[in-house]
Order: sequence, then structure tokens, then C-alpha cells
Amino acid sequence: MMSFARQANIIDYSLSSLWRRRFKSLGVMVVFAGVIFLLASFQMTTKALTNAASDILAFAPEITIQKMKAGRQESIPLEYKEKLAVILGIRAITPRIWGYYFNETSGANYTVLGLDPFSMPLGDQLGEAIDTGALPLDHEAVLGQGVFAELAGGGDAVIFSLFRPDLSLKTFSRAGVFKAETNILTYDTLFMNLDDARDLFSLPADMATDLCVTVANPNEVQTIAKKIAALLPDTRVVTRQQIQKTYQGVFGWRSGFASICLLTALAAFIIFAWDKASGLTPEERKEISILKIIGWQTSDVLTLRFWEGVTVSTVSFVVGYTLAYVHVSFFEASLFRPVLLGWSVLHPALRLVPSVELGETLLILCLTVVPYLAATIIPAWRAAIIPADSALN
Amino acid sequence: MRPSLIFLVSLGLLALVDSALLLHHHAQKENAAADAGLLRMTAAGLGLSDLCLATEARYTRHPAVTDPIVPFMDHPGAFEHFPSGSFWARPSGPR
Repeated sequence: MMSFARQANIIDYSLSSLWRRRFKSLGVMVVFAGVIFLLASFQMTTKALTNAASDILAFAPEITIQKMKAGRQESIPLEYKEKLAVILGIRAITPRIWGYYFNETSGANYTVLGLDPFSMPLGDQLGEAIDTGALPLDHEAVLGQGVFAELAGGGDAVIFSLFRPDLSLKTFSRAGVFKAETNILTYDTLFMNLDDARDLFSLPADMATDLCVTVANPNEVQTIAKKIAALLPDTRVVTRQQIQKTYQGVFGWRSGFASICLLTALAAFIIFAWDKASGLTPEERKEISILKIIGWQTSDVLTLRFWEGVTVSTVSFVVGYTLAYVHVSFFEASLFRPVLLGWSVLHPALRLVPSVELGETLLILCLTVVPYLAATIIPAWRAAIIPADSALN
Repeated sequence: MRPSLIFLVSLGLLALVDSALLLHHHAQKENAAADAGLLRMTAAGLGLSDLCLATEARYTRHPAVTDPIVPFMDHPGAFEHFPSGSFWARPSGPR
């Protein structure tokens, strides 16, 4: 009980001490909380995107086949479907025609996608993803919300035209608009049937952009992918597992922007450590000498410094982490959006669900608070061993 | 009032704010779970391989079906110049 009262008194003194130097203490806390905010915001944003990708893209095509020439993807002949007939275990091969359409007026890039949805898994339920309207018939297209806002101004216009490569116009009717809940997949998409996409891109009748392969037994995906790669050596075979693996690492710490964040944080910590370790100010020296003269022990001074460090780092951590959550959840990670989205004209609202897990919180704690406390050990010890008569000298 | 008490009360207030945010987080997760079925069905029905985030460059719009070399393919000696390229790490794994 005495020990608790003693600790409480030391904490009181340490808080009073921080308050006496409130501008310096506040400055340290603001910078410290800023570093934590930056790191936590980045981690929450990237983890939220990774989680979303992992969850949604578990339903990506099992195998995608793309033809390669001179290191670039090019259209794949439909006759490749027949070559694959010898591989047992393939349930369906669906040709797709997709590509990008640049709207010169707005500078936006659209993703145009043509395929027969009824040959795809769950394709017969695709109507549920369309807000108003139905699956596209001939000369019709279903628009993502972003494309709808651009081409029809979000209004009632149902007819629009796109340029073919020879600059002749191809006219479409709006068959429907994808629901806003699917924005993270369809915001920039124009979905139409295969023939219309072929016509729009002026693709020969015997060609497609790629082939989607559905496999009867999901356990055989890798084996079948290897057989396809052996049978069609001029193709790239991308499995669902590879797609998911891409998104596990694509938002990682190794990206350039993350490196900058990390380096900024490290630089801030170096400044902290340098400030803490560069010696005691005359005021601090005088304060400790007086404490020792009135009976404080070395261990008491160490405890005092410990509680000061804990107070500063706890408040900074809680404030920084809370602000990071608010930034990602309520402001859609607005600080990172300009970098994440770049010059994109069309970009969906990022309805991110920040990842708040104990492991990740501890990781940020270890990356920030622990180094700070470690950086204060030597100065605390140097302060604690000051001779009692130091101030008199 | 003792400084430690003021400090504890302040921490308590912060904890209250964080508790409210935690409740908001749970509600957000439930909403996301409600939309998940629709998103999975859309991905399967359209055979989608990527999230629609950055639409400025094909390699950030569809990184899963893009080679790591693509950002430098515009012409010999080309530099990667799209801003979003700095946010996205190089896709890993063999193609």
C-alpha cells in the first residue's frame, strides 16, 4: 500500500513536471502522435484493402489464359479452346473481350468488358448486382456508377456512343447501372455482350482478349494450369491463387510510398533519440540535484523518468491511433488518396473498414513506443546519477 | 485535484471515445459483411481479377494480370511515371 502511494506521488510529480515544461512536452507529444498516426493510418488502409481483396477475389476466375508475344499480352485465338479439349477436368472455357476505353473529353479510362455471364460461375445471379435494369442484350451496356455519372450525368439519358478505333461511332443503350455496393469492382466498368465488345474494339471474329477456365475439382487447379502452360507455351496462365497472392503483397511496406512513410517515422525517432540522449539541460540538472538534496534516491529519479516516458508515449499512442482510425474510416484515408489514386479521373469512394486487431496494434506499439522508451533509458540513467551537490557547483 | 487523477480522467475520456469508435467499427464490419455476398457474386459472374481503385494506368487497374515489367514498357528506356505506381509494390510470384 505504501509502495502504491509512493508511486502515485512520483506520478503526480512527473505530471507536474511535464506540465511545467508543457510547451516542450506538447511539442514532443504532437510529433510522436503524428508519427504513430502516419504509421497506423498506412497500416489500417493497406490492411483494409488487402482484406477486401482477399475476401472478394476468392471468387476470381480459377484460371485465366492470356497470349503473350514479345513480352506483351495480345489477343488469343479462339481455336486455343479446342486445343485444351484434351485436358480432363476442365468444366468450361469462357472467352472474354476486355480492354480500356479512353474518354478524351473527361480524360477518364473506362474498363470495357464483354462476356457471356451465363457461362461463368454465379453468372445467372448477376442481375442482383444491377441496380436498375437487367443484363445487357445486343447494343446495350450495363454501366458502373462512375461511368454512369460521366456518360449520362447520373440522369435519365439512355443512349450514348463510343468511338471505334477507326473513329466511327458505336451507339449503345443503357441496360442498367451496377449497384453502388459493387463500386470497388465495377465503378469504371462498361459491361456488354461479347459481340458488341468485339465490334467496339474491332477485334477479329476468331479472337478474344483472354480465356477464363472453370475447373471441375478446385483441388486440381494447379495441375490443370501446368498442363495448359505445357500445351500452350506462348501463353501466360494466371491462377486464382496467384491473383490473391498479388494482393497480399501489392500494398506492402516495400512500395515506394510506404518506404517514405517508414523513413519519415525513422527520421522522427532519430530526432527524438538525439534530443533525449544529447544531454541534460541546466534546468534539468538543477532540478535533479535539488531532488537529491531533499532525499530522493537514484531509483526514485529513474522511476520519475520512467513515468514521464510512459505518460508521453501512452497519450501520444492513444491519440495517434484514434486519429488514424478516424482518418481511414470517416475521411476515406484522404491523406493517402492522392497517391493511391494518382491521376485517376474515375475513382470510387473508398469505404474502408479499418483493420483493428490486437496483433497489428501491438506491431505499431513496438515500432513506436518501445523505441521511444528505449531512447530515454540512457538519459534517465545519466540524470539519476547526478551528484547531489551538482547544482551548487 | 491530484494531477494523477486529472490524467486518469483524461485517459478515461479518451477510452470512452475509443469505445464509441469500436462500436462504429463493429457496425461497419456488419455492413461490409452484408455487401460481401454481392461483391463475390459480381467477381465470379464477371470473372474479375482486380479491385477498381486506381484507374490511371493499366498496371494499377489490373495488377493481378500484369507483369512487373509493364510500367516500363511504353518505349525502350521508359520510366514509370504514374503517381499511383509509388503506392503499389511490385506483384510477387512467378507468372
